[in-house]
Amino acid sequence: MSLKGKRILIAKPGLDGHDVGAKVIALALRDAGADVIYTGLRKSSAYIAKVAVDEDVDVVGLSMLSGSHMALVSDTIRCLEEYDASDIKIFVGGTIPEKDRAALIEAGVCGVFTADMPLEDVIRAIERELS
Amino acid sequence: MSGLAPRSRRALGRELTRLAQASVAESLAHSAQRPEPSMETARIGFTGAPGAGKSTLISRLARLRLAACRDQGGVAILGIDPTSPLTGGSILGDRIRMDAIANEPELYIRSLASRSSNDGLADNVLDLLVTVESYGFREVLLETVGVGQAEHAIRHSVDTLVMVLQPNAGDAIQAMKSGVLELADIYVINKADLPGAKKSASEIRGIVQRSQAAWRAPVIEISQQHGEGLAKLDSAISEHLAWQAEHRNASETLRRRRHYHVQSLIVRRVAELLDHRPQLLDTTNLAESYAEILQLLASDAKRYSRQEETGW
Repeated sequence: MSLKGKRILIAKPGLDGHDVGAKVIALALRDAGADVIYTGLRKSSAYIAKVAVDEDVDVVGLSMLSGSHMALVSDTIRCLEEYDASDIKIFVGGTIPEKDRAALIEAGVCGVFTADMPLEDVIRAIERELS
Repeated sequence: MSGLAPRSRRALGRELTRLAQASVAESLAHSAQRPEPSMETARIGFTGAPGAGKSTLISRLARLRLAACRDQGGVAILGIDPTSPLTGGSILGDRIRMDAIANEPELYIRSLASRSSNDGLADNVLDLLVTVESYGFREVLLETVGVGQAEHAIRHSVDTLVMVLQPNAGDAIQAMKSGVLELADIYVINKADLPGAKKSASEIRGIVQRSQAAWRAPVIEISQQHGEGLAKLDSAISEHLAWQAEHRNASETLRRRRHYHVQSLIVRRVAELLDHRPQLLDTTNLAESYAEILQLLASDAKRYSRQEETGW
């Protein structure tokens, strides 16, 4: 399996200023064959949705360490709907408490990745969702 | 709402993905269906070594270009980044330098991977340009990968070619050697607040002045600190576009584009054949491999002349 030909946006919504994890994921996805675009820090949900649509990505990965993941995820989903782009899949990574996982999936997220997860598992989960 | 409607953005994005990933056969099927390219949209190309500051320069320039044509369709930017030959993946990093303008509704930014192209552009780049243009943008800014012999391919794809150089990079001698200074319409010495910029600029001017071309290519120094050089570049581009509208032979330009287009399709088709049938290489000598490939191309040709390929 491979992510060859898949387009993936790694995005940093909200106000936290750390993107080491986002960059590690971006490089791992590139090495799995994907075309990866990174937004840079502190982007609004509206901005992320616009970039996802202009770049026609298959997946948006939201990296969040700020604790406001519930609000940011539902905001991003709403913004994607405005572009008629609800088919773009959303994954979430960062410091996400276990108790919020179910609610994020319920909101429409395809997967929640935390720092202790091996990169291969992350890639496999995305491959599975896209196949 | 000004700019592209949300649904049009979505449609354009999808069309570009499909075309960027199209095989030679798919690309031909597509080109049979689309209208002939018009030359109403101005294409401005940017090339130069990696790290010369192309993306940042385009970002700052796009704001000025956009201000002048906001009501006439706006501006699209296509930024090409290299595909890894090992994994097939890429980091498309041009747009992160274009942050400051990315919220403009009349602006469309799209990142492209070079895929199998090694001429500084991307697979099917001429089709991608025509598709973007069909959405009514007034200008398209195209950024090359910035490595390899990018200059020749982009020269044939755009109306105005800007070459971005940085001070003291040994550019002058390299440029003389490879002859690229006969190709660009405008030269930028970027990062002109670095030492050596004046010297680099005068070296490039010395070379450009020897050119016999009818258009006298300006050499413009630009620094991040001062707006002056940027405004000069903006007006030099407008002047060149106007000059060209008056002087160029449009059918000759379209011919040169077609030359590049046909040639790149054939080169890519040969690569496809070799990828799909590695046994083509297991022959006793080169001439045999060559002849077998020609035979396969000939059977392609029969198929296309009967126009059996559809399905785009």
